[in-house]
Amino acid sequence: MTTSDNTSSSESPGSSAPSTLVAASARTPLWRDVVVLKWVTQVFLLAVVLSAMWFLASQAGDNLRARNINTDFDFLERPVDIQLGEGIDTHPDTGGRALWAAMVNTLRLSVAGIIFATVLGVIVGLARLSDNWLVRRIASGWVEMLRNIPLLVQMIVYYSTMTAALPRLGLDAGPINGWLHVSNKGISMPRVHIADGFYQWAVVVLIGAVAAHFVRRHRQRIQDETGANASPILWALGTVALFGLVGLVVHPAFFWLGAVFGAIADLLDSLPNAVPQLLLSAIAVGFATTWISRFVSDHRSARGHLSLTDDDWFRIAFTALVSLVLVYVAVRWTGLSSWILNSGRDLFGVLEAKFDVDGAARPFDAMRPDIVQKAKFPNYGKNGLTMSIGFASVFFAVVFYTSAFIGENVRGGILAVSKGQTEAAKAVGLGRGQILRHVVLPQALRVILPPTGNQYLNLVKNTSLAVAVGMSDIVQVGTTVFNQTGRTLPVVAIWMLFYLSCSLTISVVVNWFNVRMQLVER
Amino acid sequence: MGGFGIGSRNSAVVPSANVPIAAPPEVLKLPPREWVKANLFSSPFNSVLTLLTTVVLLAIFRGFLAFVFDPVRQWDSTATNLQLFMTRAYPDDQYIRIWFCVAVILILTGVSMAVWRAGSTMPVAAIGHKLLGTGALLVLLALLAPFSASATIQWLVAALAVAATGEVLRRSPGKGEDERTVSTLTVLVIALAGLVASLWVVPYGHHTYIANRVPRVLAEPGTVALTTKLPWTVMLLIVVTAYFAGRLMRDRLPANPIRATLMVLWLLAPPVLVYLVLRDPDFDIGHVVGTDLPIFLAYATGGAALLSWLTRPSTGEAGRIIAVLILLVGFCTFLTPMRMVVRIDMLMLAVFALAAPTFAGGPRARKRYAVGWLGVLGVASWLITSINTPSTVEVPGGFFIGGLSITLMVAVFTILFSFPLGIGLALARTSSMPIFRHLSTGFIEIVRGVPLITILIFFSIMVPLFLPTGMHLDEVTAVIIGYVLFSSAYLAENVRGGLQSVTRGQHEAADAVGMTTAQKTVFIVLPQALRVSIPPLVGHCIGVFKETSLLAIIGVFDLLYIARIVIPGQTEFMGSARENLLFVSVIYWIFAYQLSKASQRLERRTGLGER
Repeated sequence: MTTSDNTSSSESPGSSAPSTLVAASARTPLWRDVVVLKWVTQVFLLAVVLSAMWFLASQAGDNLRARNINTDFDFLERPVDIQLGEGIDTHPDTGGRALWAAMVNTLRLSVAGIIFATVLGVIVGLARLSDNWLVRRIASGWVEMLRNIPLLVQMIVYYSTMTAALPRLGLDAGPINGWLHVSNKGISMPRVHIADGFYQWAVVVLIGAVAAHFVRRHRQRIQDETGANASPILWALGTVALFGLVGLVVHPAFFWLGAVFGAIADLLDSLPNAVPQLLLSAIAVGFATTWISRFVSDHRSARGHLSLTDDDWFRIAFTALVSLVLVYVAVRWTGLSSWILNSGRDLFGVLEAKFDVDGAARPFDAMRPDIVQKAKFPNYGKNGLTMSIGFASVFFAVVFYTSAFIGENVRGGILAVSKGQTEAAKAVGLGRGQILRHVVLPQALRVILPPTGNQYLNLVKNTSLAVAVGMSDIVQVGTTVFNQTGRTLPVVAIWMLFYLSCSLTISVVVNWFNVRMQLVER
Repeated sequence: MGGFGIGSRNSAVVPSANVPIAAPPEVLKLPPREWVKANLFSSPFNSVLTLLTTVVLLAIFRGFLAFVFDPVRQWDSTATNLQLFMTRAYPDDQYIRIWFCVAVILILTGVSMAVWRAGSTMPVAAIGHKLLGTGALLVLLALLAPFSASATIQWLVAALAVAATGEVLRRSPGKGEDERTVSTLTVLVIALAGLVASLWVVPYGHHTYIANRVPRVLAEPGTVALTTKLPWTVMLLIVVTAYFAGRLMRDRLPANPIRATLMVLWLLAPPVLVYLVLRDPDFDIGHVVGTDLPIFLAYATGGAALLSWLTRPSTGEAGRIIAVLILLVGFCTFLTPMRMVVRIDMLMLAVFALAAPTFAGGPRARKRYAVGWLGVLGVASWLITSINTPSTVEVPGGFFIGGLSITLMVAVFTILFSFPLGIGLALARTSSMPIFRHLSTGFIEIVRGVPLITILIFFSIMVPLFLPTGMHLDEVTAVIIGYVLFSSAYLAENVRGGLQSVTRGQHEAADAVGMTTAQKTVFIVLPQALRVSIPPLVGHCIGVFKETSLLAIIGVFDLLYIARIVIPGQTEFMGSARENLLFVSVIYWIFAYQLSKASQRLERRTGLGER
């Protein structure tokens, strides 16, 4: 085989036919062909994995049936007896509502955590590089202390310290009664919240964002042409702000969007099941054909000669097979199609309701915190923005913990920018702030961003430890739900789906920034 | 490059071309007054910053001291429950087993330190410097802490004594080339010896907690109980003796066999110590002789003969066919009722048979392969038997061990088992075979996208439901399985980084000398990839150790659970959670910090991270 390869490569393409014939006649038998063996092994492994999963699933099914445990999602619509410590709905009436409120809690915690951890992390990273000895030592002490103590231990330390050290809640709670209350039931402050007109206002802001994009491009072009600082980002932000301000007045103009969403909901309601089935099948087949045709065209030489190895044929066959299986699943599993239709209808129905408001409704409202005394002990009312001790301890723990890691990333990124860059910038006459903003940070960000994205993912996942301090995040509420209803598997599936989509979102955003950063270079 | 940022304004020494690269950067010694000016008050902004941070730092330190030395604090709740922290309810009359395990690990540590030449030398002046710093800190402590006047004076005297010792050492003669140095190990042993000696002299007091129906605390003044100070003294002697024995071995015997033996001993130590010493299986001799031994012998003889034939280079095709047949038979055993041992052994044999061509060679190689099979089979059979056998060690409630021991045990077993799994996943993910790649990628990404606690909750609740009838797993084992899966996904990503750093030339060179893919992977690619990924792997191990604390959430009696739930639940020590949490934090911190320091030293020693 090797000899025939050598000859064919040395000969001109025109005379390659006879040598291929030789190779074909001396073809290795099937049981010694490496490609065939590889594919047999892979398919075998796939079969083993699938049958092991099937075996476990059937075992679980038997065991669950024997113990009278169901695995359906009915509990989402059934009443449950759960009280959440905080969030959009502290006394949810159904399991689904409880999980939704808990999800919002987790998201709040994650978003706030990411913002504050980034700010604190940058401060720590810069402090580690400070020319002040004391600041440097404090920053490295901060990093070494927080990195080496388990997050859960830190969280519980904060929790027990705060519950023990903060004062009891009274009607005259401080430090600024009526504005800011701090007690061992949490921290309560004034709240700005979205009101009925918010969604119409959001449409105005969305239009503003599109306008801002064009403004930014325009200003950028001016800057590129004249060389003067046209501050495109500032202009873009200003445009959005302008639209936001104007939107406060003009937002009722968009009331008609509700009717549009209503029409879409009705349309989805009237569609037969066959439409999503066809759509799903078309997507599966479409992906497979695109992949195969691209694969084939990639393997076509410049002169149009197609040379596919056995391995490539196996790949093509496998892709086609997978797409067929997906089509089969889409057609046979009618529940999936009707679920898609129903949830689409519900989504647009909700949107319709959001736009169906009184024309004078304000987009925002604000309230001051209150303290109510219904029974023996006073408690925070619903008006203020209340952060329970559980929330605060999880928040501080994840922010401090992640700031130590982000600080190390920032430090490493800045050190990775070679000294020559700073010196060159100094030589051109840039000031300290300018050097940092225009020379060091853009280059350092390229190094900092990927590991910091990982830290964001970790932060979101770490908020799940809130279950240890009784904060109502999705894990804690999910545990309560399955303890009451016995639906462990569905709840775990919801957890996985939720965290996977969070992770996916963050990695998409970070990758987007990352790609932009890389493009700036050349 | 690590120290580049620190003190960079002092190291303005430009290395010229003829300076050797390895020369350490020269740090200019400034006199104290100028040092302070340069590092603390170089600009108005810096001065303000220094003053502000000093005030904040002192306030925090003072608050911390006020917490620690508050007479309300129940520090005796920690002292009384030290045994609980270490091993939970392990019975007192069996405690010699714990000490035996500690001794074995210390012997291995001592010998290994000698054989691998651990430790370095440090100048006496540096120790003096550190002692001086400690003394200054103690003075600050004495002044800030809420002490009575006499206690303040005692602390001050002690602090000044430490500082004076430091100053004497710092001014010790010898500068430059003939600087007086001392081995770090000596310093360590002296410090430990001082600690152990203080157990005999200083009246720390006895602390015993008697968990009867009405729990009682025995806290008597006096020196530490004999059951504590005697074993620790013996342990210190053992580790020092082991170190010198190791030095003898290192000087007398060839290096490689000793190192290989030590490695194998380290690998074997966790299962042997846990399942032979700590748990002490109550073997049913009749069953062992009648069932387990014959199965083992059959697989041992048959397997060894088969493998030594399969590893003959001349076996060729037939060997592969037979290996695949064994694999199929292994899977078919799951279709009929049969002992689990038989199935597992069959699958292990199939894996060995499939790998046999990779290790094919002369008689010595074949013999080594067969011996490897016997070893793995032996350890696996013995482990399976002892796991399935009830224990003679009667421990009240649940798992046989708890506290720091279970933290370390879970961490060690998780790391041990997730290594092969993680490497396999990494290889599959970088493989050119699409199904392998996608399966492994899917597994890794799904596991990495989900928090550990959900996996632990899932495994602790759901594993019994997935098992066939008749099989039983206790909660800790189920949780370890979940933790292994979780950890292997992260480990796979670290190893993948290493795999990608192996240059193409290495692959091509291995192909050129006619290696098979398996041989190339095992002998060329993996050793280089693993060496590169040592730093992230050590980081991963630290993470695994820290995150064992999550076991507390699902109710396993680990260090954190005991500190947070068990001790504050004792009637004498209500509300003592914060003291114990502080203690636990310190324990975790010491372990994790030492591991990360060790990893940095390892990195420097192997020259990783340097170009």
